Amino acid sequence: MKLRRELGGWLLASPYLLSAAIFFLIPLVWSLSLLFFRWNLITPEREFVGLANFGEALTSPRVWNAMLVTYKFMGIIIPSVMVASIGLALIIHHIPRLKELFAVGFFLPYLASGVAIGLVIQGILSYGSPVNEFLRNVFGTSPRWLRDPFWAVLVISGMIVWKLSGYYALIFVAGLQAIPRELYEAAALDGAGAFTQFRRITLPLLYPAFYTVLVLAVGITLGIFTEPYVLTGGGPALATHTWQLEIYYQAFERFRAGYGATVALINAVVTFVTILIIRRLAESWGARRGFK
Amino acid sequence: MNNMVRRSSKMARRYRLRGQAKTWMLYSVATPILFLMVVPYLYMLAQSLAPWTEVNRVFVPSSFTLRSYKWLLTGGAFAIAQPWLRALGNSALVTTVVTLSRVLTAALVGYALSVLPFRGRRRIHDFIMFQMFYPGIILLVPTFLLIRSLGLYDTYWAMIIPGLVSTWAIFMYTNFFRSVPKELIEAARLDGAGELRIIFQIMVPMARSITMIIFLFLFMERWIDLLWDMIVIRDPMKRTLNVLLATMFGPYGGYPGPLYAAAVLLTFPILLLFIIFSRKFVKGVSLIISS
Repeated sequence: MKLRRELGGWLLASPYLLSAAIFFLIPLVWSLSLLFFRWNLITPEREFVGLANFGEALTSPRVWNAMLVTYKFMGIIIPSVMVASIGLALIIHHIPRLKELFAVGFFLPYLASGVAIGLVIQGILSYGSPVNEFLRNVFGTSPRWLRDPFWAVLVISGMIVWKLSGYYALIFVAGLQAIPRELYEAAALDGAGAFTQFRRITLPLLYPAFYTVLVLAVGITLGIFTEPYVLTGGGPALATHTWQLEIYYQAFERFRAGYGATVALINAVVTFVTILIIRRLAESWGARRGFK
Repeated sequence: MNNMVRRSSKMARRYRLRGQAKTWMLYSVATPILFLMVVPYLYMLAQSLAPWTEVNRVFVPSSFTLRSYKWLLTGGAFAIAQPWLRALGNSALVTTVVTLSRVLTAALVGYALSVLPFRGRRRIHDFIMFQMFYPGIILLVPTFLLIRSLGLYDTYWAMIIPGLVSTWAIFMYTNFFRSVPKELIEAARLDGAGELRIIFQIMVPMARSITMIIFLFLFMERWIDLLWDMIVIRDPMKRTLNVLLATMFGPYGGYPGPLYAAAVLLTFPILLLFIIFSRKFVKGVSLIISS
């Protein structure tokens, strides 16, 4: 009986064990061996180059640029998505009727393929579009949008904020629902206005939701690929060339397997350290306000 | 007395008015935002139905035509016809197989990890957490090489096999199944139900709303994958719709109408699926979030 249960457990868990062995452990080991070779993915022989891949990656302006671009996106996207999703959550939470309609409607962007939305954005920003016609009529000129490094970054950030905020709002709604009403009543009796209540009760008590959203959003921002791939190809002048684009470019367009794997590893280390730092910051902020 | 009643009713009316003003303000902010959230979808649909002279020139076309769809499916008179419907079929095939497998295996593994007290389950659970937080990007190149050396490059299997099991879905089911009362499972066992029957006739039905959300998220995530499907497939006949659309931005540059039609084909099945299941969506999501 005991043996049967033991066997049954392993048997039921076997789909995971199999897939983890084949598609996690093998690539994991393989990725380590790739790092020290120069190899074009095609020829059978590969050349051992020691740490040359690391040397090249760490001195490559493209890699440093990718890092800078990713942090640029993060600096724009994280604060915007926080404000937007808390705002949406407040609407969903406080609106008396049609709550579900608004919650579902705000969530719809999350379902969009970056490719399809990229097409729409490209169309809306194309030279002859109504938006640009309007801008030229009023200001005499229209921005070059995706061909302008400044606007390209903003447009792609905007697409990502649009996509994510409805989803993250639902996380904040769950947080809002967990706040006891009595707290607000007590604060109102003490003469606290709506803004003070929001600042002193709502925001601090949303900390767990805030933390969840922060970790999710940082993860997403560090992995941006689709939007710049279809809209700008990383340009203009590498202004939207993210880590993922650089890895894709090196490994699958220039067929440099070893170097691509090395850039991926550096990206992973940077990602890991970034998430760690941001989590520490958020946690110490929370701890000062008495959260775990 | 009378005076006081009148005064208090006056105050109540004033409060009600203030509440109403607040409500109106809330709606007048919420409605434009709702519009902003759906406007890209509406734009896509409108442009796909617009006469070709108006595509990307107006927000609301003066009339509607199916020309873009007809052109998309026949390739017009040009030699750049692409297998769009087949790509839609490819997307449907790959996404359905992968998603069903992910939900199914997650239910099995989640049950084993949460209910069956076998030795090693803690270690497996820890390993799943490790894998979940391991950055997948490092594995991109070696997984590609693995697929290629298995002889699966440029086959449907390349898009299906690496994704058959989802650690996230396992994690979700494990957490949910933990909250199912043990007595229920014991009772079913006493009635002679096997573990598989317990999983699919008791556990999964109980987890209906969470299953729906897991299914939806997995389906959507697979449907809009770009990077992986792009690197393992070369044959145009095997491309998914998302990849085909991404690669046609340039070649179809002069034909934005048909591109919008393709974007509608790509986007609206997911929207439809979501809207069908959206009735319990908000509740389901809050379940996911609290776990």
